[in-house]
Amino acid sequence: MIQFLTRRLFLVLPVLAGILLVTFIITRLVPGDPCYVMLGEKATKATCDEFKARFGLDKSIPEQFGRYVFNIAQGDFGNSLKDRRPITTIVGERLPMTIELTILAMLFSSTFGILLGVVSALNRNSFIDTFTMLGANIGVSMPVFWLGLLLAYLFALVLKGTPLQLPPSGRLSAGVSLIPLAKTWGITDATGIKAFMLAMLSNSAIMNGLLTGNYTLVFDALKHLILPAVAVGTISLAVIARMTRSALLEVLGQDYIRTARAKGLEYGLVIRKHALRNALIPIVTVIGIQTGGLLSGAVLTETIFSLPGVGSRMVEAILGRDYPVVQGFSVVIALIFVFTNLIVDASYAYLDPRVRVK
Amino acid sequence: MKRSIYVLLSMLILASMLLAACGTPATEAPTAPPAAPAATDVPAAPAATEVPPTAAPAFVGDKLVAPDCNYGGNFKAIEAVDQFTVKFSFCAPDPAFLAKIASVEAFDIYSKANLTEIGGDATKMNDAPVGTGPYIVKEWVRGDHITFVPNPTYFGEKVANTTFIMKWNKEAAARLLDLQAGNVSGIAEVTSDDLATIEADANLKLYPRHVNNFLYLGINNSRAPFDNEKVRQAFAMAINKQKIVDDFYAPGSVAATQFVPAGVKPGFTEGYKGTTYDAAKAKQMLVDEKFDFNKTYTLSYAERTRPYFPQPTKIAQAVQAQLAEIGIKVKLDMQDWAVYLPASREGKLDLFFLGWSEDFPDATNWYDVFLAGSSPSFGNAFPDIVDLIKKAATLSDSAERQKIYDQINVLYDQHVPTIIIAHGTTNLAFLSTVGNVVLGPYNENFPQMTTADGTLVFSQDGEPVSLMCADETDGSSFRACNQIFSKLYRFDWGTANPVPDLAEKCTGNADATEWTCTLKQGVSFSNGAAFDANDVVATFSAGLDYKNPLRKGNTGSYQYFKDLFGGKVLNEPAP
Repeated sequence: MIQFLTRRLFLVLPVLAGILLVTFIITRLVPGDPCYVMLGEKATKATCDEFKARFGLDKSIPEQFGRYVFNIAQGDFGNSLKDRRPITTIVGERLPMTIELTILAMLFSSTFGILLGVVSALNRNSFIDTFTMLGANIGVSMPVFWLGLLLAYLFALVLKGTPLQLPPSGRLSAGVSLIPLAKTWGITDATGIKAFMLAMLSNSAIMNGLLTGNYTLVFDALKHLILPAVAVGTISLAVIARMTRSALLEVLGQDYIRTARAKGLEYGLVIRKHALRNALIPIVTVIGIQTGGLLSGAVLTETIFSLPGVGSRMVEAILGRDYPVVQGFSVVIALIFVFTNLIVDASYAYLDPRVRVK
Repeated sequence: MKRSIYVLLSMLILASMLLAACGTPATEAPTAPPAAPAATDVPAAPAATEVPPTAAPAFVGDKLVAPDCNYGGNFKAIEAVDQFTVKFSFCAPDPAFLAKIASVEAFDIYSKANLTEIGGDATKMNDAPVGTGPYIVKEWVRGDHITFVPNPTYFGEKVANTTFIMKWNKEAAARLLDLQAGNVSGIAEVTSDDLATIEADANLKLYPRHVNNFLYLGINNSRAPFDNEKVRQAFAMAINKQKIVDDFYAPGSVAATQFVPAGVKPGFTEGYKGTTYDAAKAKQMLVDEKFDFNKTYTLSYAERTRPYFPQPTKIAQAVQAQLAEIGIKVKLDMQDWAVYLPASREGKLDLFFLGWSEDFPDATNWYDVFLAGSSPSFGNAFPDIVDLIKKAATLSDSAERQKIYDQINVLYDQHVPTIIIAHGTTNLAFLSTVGNVVLGPYNENFPQMTTADGTLVFSQDGEPVSLMCADETDGSSFRACNQIFSKLYRFDWGTANPVPDLAEKCTGNADATEWTCTLKQGVSFSNGAAFDANDVVATFSAGLDYKNPLRKGNTGSYQYFKDLFGGKVLNEPAP
């Protein structure tokens, strides 16, 4: 197992090298000029020539790439062209929110998706099955921005004044502060990985609140994440429900299930221990893919709910031709996908003894 | 064997990356404290260890002097005459000086000591801004909000609320939901679609803002058939501007009748109607000019909503349909903004939509920007118009200037350098419980607005880029800077009248080539440092001298110092 994981970890390196090269070339080949986006209607050619010279964008692409790789080898991913802030700082600000959203969304979609899939499979071709799968189809087809606005309208306006009222956007309520942990704990000398991890924890409102005992912050952050998590998790829920149903139906037709029932095992136990566990591999694969997708940024959801996550920042950077941000975030997203797949692969070994034996 | 080498190489690379990541902070290395501005006569700040003499040290005034007026800009000198007097000298008359320094937040005044301490770096200013404005920043949660609290050292009128929170959301519909839910007290940039909803809701109140702006259809007159004046006139006549305004603009917006909107005085010619809509005559003119009706012409635009361009695609489609009515085939070409703007600037587009909102209330911010010379965007300039613009720029008498602009307005309709479509009104909305809301063309009186619990929450359409607005051009940053910093002059709430802010008064000489400002005494920055004339000189020196070591800012462009004061700054390298 360790050998397997180590081998997979080393495979990350060529993937990263490829991502660096491809994103660098693509960002430079896409037409457009970051200076004009930043200065808007006031931009002139002279100002933009000066801007390019200042940020080294007037150099040849191979020279720019060489410098970029050289800097990365020293741990420097560069600064945003828009506000000159280090990419690692921006990642440290944006990724925690996306992780929080993903965890909540996947908890919602996995719990209800598997539950609905099992109910549907156990009641094959019944009214419940039809109804559940109809719901799943609607869930898959529903545009997330439409569902998001609908949920926001329902919970912020229709239910306004009731205990069910939820905030329609933003990350925190007015007056709720997110104090950096370094400040709370009086840490002034954190650098490198330590500073990055501290920033990640600080910018995760839920973790920050839990670590400092600020439960107002925790509940407020959770309250703001419920609607986005439901909006973005609905599609995943539908996909997981459909996959659970089909995988479970296939397993339920196997001889060993019939044998288990014939032995007189309790029905629920047969479903839980023999059927569902064997059906889990394709379900875990789907959950892994959905998690990777969400971690790389739920762009529309983040935009509708005004959440400062990876996706919205990435899109902003692409539209603004903020090359260092696009490149840096691409590497982060690639890493997220690689590690998510790694976890999924590792879970196969846990779920299926045959994989361990191999 | 190959596999072993591969594994070994991978391990080495991984180990080097880990070492690098652990050993080097990913942030920028701290910069060395900058030296005093070399290209100026500004002396270095006293060393921190220097022991002050028992008697107060004599004030040594800083100054920035241009060696001559051939560098391309208009600033000749800025000098701290005494502790509370600053003199600005210009190469050519600048009668609009007060309006300029009152306009955008690019002319916020910074503390010289603070500017020196942070090396003029906007990223450091963002962490701990030091200003003389009504608020100080309590926290900036990136991506979510900025919390302001009243500045205890503020010299102006007492702030009426206890907390001001600025949020942002790009989606207008989501901003409105936030307002309706009571999560925010006010929102910016209400879309035309939402006006009826707000007006029908007793809990909300709509506040229109009249800003001098225009949407124009750009024409490149160096390309056929638009090199033909008659063709341009026919196009101007074929567009029904009033219908476009009626269909797509917010109430209060007006169809253009001449080059500038009615609020630009001098400039706007009262009663002058300019080119009016006449499709039949337009078609006949094109026929007379043997216009090629078989050719398809490209009309470019970007889907970027602005107060003067509220519904880009719909407006472009409407113009396309109106031109089609007289047989002109037009293909719409929607482009990404990052591609579109450079293409228009480089003269690659025949017909294109762009717009303009004035930076300061003066005709020079219109006529001189668009009509004073040739450009790749619009092609050749018109010598008769250019001569008149130059003449107007030397006059300070409003009536005399108006006479010249009257002539230009007529010539504009004859030459049709561009087709002005409309002047848009923008709207803000607040909860009806928010009191004392006053909106002007350039600012909002947030410090004077009142709420029941003392907390005012406002949602705009974007996050500020930085809090060093000397080097910014976007409204989102300006709105935030406006709360933290003060300028020598500002616009009085609700108007476009410059009134003294950090200055007691500024007076110009007879030909407006010298402006002497007397500063308010007893003003402190939010860090307790006293404000004096050297702060003004240091601030302007950073913006106006390319080689000033404190001129780091954000992108380092300091665009407004160029745009509003002659086009170039001191010591700027040749292109």
